[in-house]
Order: sequence, then structure tokens, then C-alpha cells
Amino acid sequence: MTAGQARSGTERHEAPGPASDTAPGGGDGGRRDLADRPVSHAPLLVAAGAAALLVAAPLVLGPYPVTTATRILAFAVLVLSVDLLTGVTGLPTLGQAAYFGVGAYTAALVGIHVTADAAAQVIAACVAGLIAAAVTGWIAVRARGIVFFMLTLAIGESVHQVADTWSALGASNGLSGMPPIRLFGSPPLLAAGFVYWWVLAVAIAVFAAVTLVARSPYGRTLRGIRDNEPRMRALGYRTAAARYGVFCLAGAVAGVGGALWAAQARFVSPGDLGFEVAALALLSVVIGGAGSLWGPCLGAALVLIVRDNLSASLGGHGPLLLGLVFIAVVFLMPRGVAGLVGARRHPRTRTEIPS
Amino acid sequence: MTSATTPISATTPILELRRLTRSYGSLTAVDQVDLSVVPGERHALIGPNGAGKSTLFATVAGTLRASAGRVVFSGQDVTDLPESERVRRGMVRTYQHASLFLDCSVLDNVALAVQRAHRVAYRFDRPARRFRATQAAARRHLDTVGLAGRQYDKAVALSHGERRQLEVAMVLAAGPELVMFDEPTAGMSAAETERFVALVQRLPQTLTILIVEHDLDVVFRLADRVTVLHLGRVLASGTPPRIRADEAVRRAYLGSAKTEDLFIDAGEPQ
Repeated sequence: MTAGQARSGTERHEAPGPASDTAPGGGDGGRRDLADRPVSHAPLLVAAGAAALLVAAPLVLGPYPVTTATRILAFAVLVLSVDLLTGVTGLPTLGQAAYFGVGAYTAALVGIHVTADAAAQVIAACVAGLIAAAVTGWIAVRARGIVFFMLTLAIGESVHQVADTWSALGASNGLSGMPPIRLFGSPPLLAAGFVYWWVLAVAIAVFAAVTLVARSPYGRTLRGIRDNEPRMRALGYRTAAARYGVFCLAGAVAGVGGALWAAQARFVSPGDLGFEVAALALLSVVIGGAGSLWGPCLGAALVLIVRDNLSASLGGHGPLLLGLVFIAVVFLMPRGVAGLVGARRHPRTRTEIPS
Repeated sequence: MTSATTPISATTPILELRRLTRSYGSLTAVDQVDLSVVPGERHALIGPNGAGKSTLFATVAGTLRASAGRVVFSGQDVTDLPESERVRRGMVRTYQHASLFLDCSVLDNVALAVQRAHRVAYRFDRPARRFRATQAAARRHLDTVGLAGRQYDKAVALSHGERRQLEVAMVLAAGPELVMFDEPTAGMSAAETERFVALVQRLPQTLTILIVEHDLDVVFRLADRVTVLHLGRVLASGTPPRIRADEAVRRAYLGSAKTEDLFIDAGEPQ
């Protein structure tokens, strides 16, 4: 019925493959998660095109849309970390906003007290997110399913509470006075477009890194855990260690997102790491298609545009619109935006192979 | 395939159960079972329904904890080790109902087993397909079980029999010294059973096999030694001809459900 079955008919007659990794019959019929299938160059071209458009955006857009786009990119990095846990490893989480917040506060503190160098801020935030996740994740990964989900919620709320009450962090007023970022000894970057390009460069680097993780043997290990964790143990895997590893990795990614967020806003408040942010990040993953990485980035754009830009013109009913979008996605496209692309590619593959 | 450790002399058992017991509350499903399997042996575990085969199997594999007694593998006491640690020492099991990664490709299923044995399961510096030795080994194992042509299909697209073949490939890929089959031919067609038996017969003689099986025809074709369980205890243990002739074994099977009449046919001298 599926393209896969249609293809197998032709493949079965091939000589049982030698160890060549460039196997014949290259079409990659929209099947997800096949880390080892022959590579098609179409996604690479699409990615290059998207990157080119993103790079060119500040040349045609005004400062306000560029600011919005910068925020979307920073948020998308947070969403990537959620997708790494939820989509790739099968661990739905509400805790990533906490590490995002840790990264944002770290970057702001480094900016205020140490250096305005953006790269240093990103590195510090990455390390801080990693450490925060390493400390809290040790408890969280012991649980699974709904208990894990609730633990991540508890972590998120605890960190939010700390940010909301700790005077050194400005408590509920937030942390302001962060100077504009500099890059490698440049003068302060005041123009929105320069900040955007920096954030874009880091976001693309993070996207590439997360994509590499997802396609690596470790990514395969994580998908194995998602699909059938008991079986992984029966193959000799120490699955708790593997889940802990990805939890730390996701914390580091979320921390980078926080630094990018702070670089643009130059102000961090407890609202940036609250439950709402965590929920919207998870919503972005669902809308975009869990596990595809690029889909959730589109989801992030949609969610942030509705919340920050459309909500005002809807009389403050942005959350209602997001709720409706969420319901529609769950019923109409359970695999999200990414699932639509996969579905569209299936029939094409079938016609490519004459039976 | 297996690491070149010091060869164990044929007389030293690779697997030894010492008064192994597993109870559920007041019910003792496995009762002080002693068993030893020497390297390279094909050992079958049979018994009427409710004899405790599955419980014994799960206790040896590590899915269930022993209530008393020891499990010794390659001279090491593994009784208190979790399943994953036993697998790392070379005790690998299959599942009665094929347990696969259905949303992953057939090749990925096997590669998951290989990459753990190759110690690259946590690497993320390169895409998986660049780990050529791992990919090649996975394809070789798929070839062994006759699934080479389906490597890019998702496991969910495989038929029941093909899923069992994939299970075998995964077990072989995990680098086992002892393979434990849990009712491998249950639900297979006659042709699929035939293919399975041929596959097991082709496995390297260095591999030790413990097999729990209902189909006594399969048992007597594959096993060098057979252990019969009855009510949680070892009723008899010996070569297939001796087990066929054993009076106590016949009585145990006759006394249980009628479906076991099969055993009488298998037991008749040819």
C-alpha cells in the first residue's frame, strides 16, 4: 500500500548489497527517520534557499519586522531543544524554558558585568544551560512518560520562582541595563539588522548541530528509545544514560537560545522563562511536526507572530487563535507541517518506480 | 563477531543455573532449577503449559529477578545484573512477539544492535551513514537472515515472518555468545518455520543457543540437549532420543491439555 511496499518489490531482486553506502535506487520517498538512506540533494537546496532568504531579509524589511524575526530565531532555538527531547527522543517536556531562561539571565549578567562580546555571552549561556540541565536532569530522567512531563513542569516553575524572587536578578522587575552586543571587538551593534545577522548565524549553526546529532548514531539511539525503550535495554543499552545525555544537550541548546533572546531584547524578565513560554515551545513542536527539526522552526515563527504581532489586532485573543490552530493541527495533520510534506512526496515516489 | 577472549574449555558450562527459584506470592513458578549449558550447545527448554518455561526464560534473561538461586554466565555471577548488563556480557534474547523499532528502517533496527556492540552508539560527530563498518556489519546481518532487499523499508511494513527474521538479525548483531530464543516459531507458517530452522542450523557452531519452543518437531531437529520442565521443576534433561523415551515426560504431557498430543507423534520412533 505504501510507497515503501511498492518499492520493495523492485528492490528485492537486487543482489544483496555489498557494503557500499551509496546504495542503488536512490529515491527517498518521504520516509522519516531513515538516518542511513541514500541522500537526496533536494532538502539541501531548499535549506540553502531558505538560508539565503533569511540572510537577505534585513535588506528589504524595516527595523520592526527584523526585530520580530530576531525574536523568532531565538525562540526557534529553544523550540529545537524541545524537539530534540520530544520529537527525536519521545520525551515531551515543559522544562526547556527554564534552561532558556538560565541562558538569557547568564548572557545578560555577562553583558552587564563582564563583556559585551556576543560570542562570549553565547558560550557562557550554553555552558550555564548545560550545567542547569545536568543538575536537574539527573532527577528528571529517572522518570518517564507523564511523571517525567510533570517533573519538567516542576523544574520550569521552580526556576521561574527563583527568577521572580531573587533580587540579584532583579526579581519580578527583571534584569535591565544590558549593553548592546559587540562582535569580535566591533563597535556596539545598534542596528537591528546586525543583531539579526548574528542571531541568524548562531541559529543556523545550532540547527546544523542538532541536525547532525539527529542523524548520528546517537540520534539513532535516541529514536530507538522513543520507539521501544525496553528493546533498547535488551540490546544492551543503558537507556537512562542516553536520556540524560540528550537532556543535557537540549539544556545547552536552550541556553544558547536564551543568550540570543537577551542579545536582541537587552532585557530579561521572569516572563521570558515562564510556563507560557514552555507551553508555546511545545505547541510549536506539535504544529511543526515533532522530530523533523525544520517543521518546529516554522511552528515557532507562527506561534510567535500570533502571540506578539497578531494578538493586538485580534483584541488580545491571540491565545484563542493559537488554541484553535492547535486543535485543527491535532485533528487535521497529526504529523504537523512536516507531515504534510512527507504525505505529498509519497505519491510521487510511487510513480517514479514502474512496477 | 564475538570478541576473541580466552577460549573456554568445552567442559566449563557457559550458562549455569543453581537452584534458581522464582515465586509470585505463594506460587512458585520456577522451583530450584539446576541447569548447565556448555559452549556451542543447542539446548531446548520444553514442557506443558504452565510448566514455568517463560518464567525461567525471563529470569535467565534478566527481565525478571530471581527469588533465590544464582545465574552464572561465563563464570560470572549475573543474578543481580539488570538485563542490559547481561546483554553486554553476551547473553542476548529474542522476543516471543517480535519487539522492533517499528518507525525506524529495517537497517536502523539492526544498526542499533551493531552500533552498541561497536561502541559507537553515543557518537554524534558524524552522520550514522558515515560509520561504514557499522553500516556494513548491519547489512551483513540482514543478508544472513535474507532481508537485504528490504533495508530501507520501515520495520512496520514487514510481515510477521520477516519480523522474526529481523529479530534474529538484531540478536546476531548484538554480539552474542549465548542466544536465547523465546518460542521463535510461534505463529509462523510451515514455510516460515522451515526457513527459521534452516537459519538456526546455519549459525556458527561457536554460538550457544537456548531455545524455548512449543513445536517439538523444531526442538528435536535443532537441539543437542533437551530439558523438560514440569510444575516449575526439571523433570528430565538429556539428549533428544532419551527425552523421547522418557516415561515421566510422556506422563507429564499426557496429563496436561489435549493439544499436547502432538508430542506423542513426535515421540514415536521412526
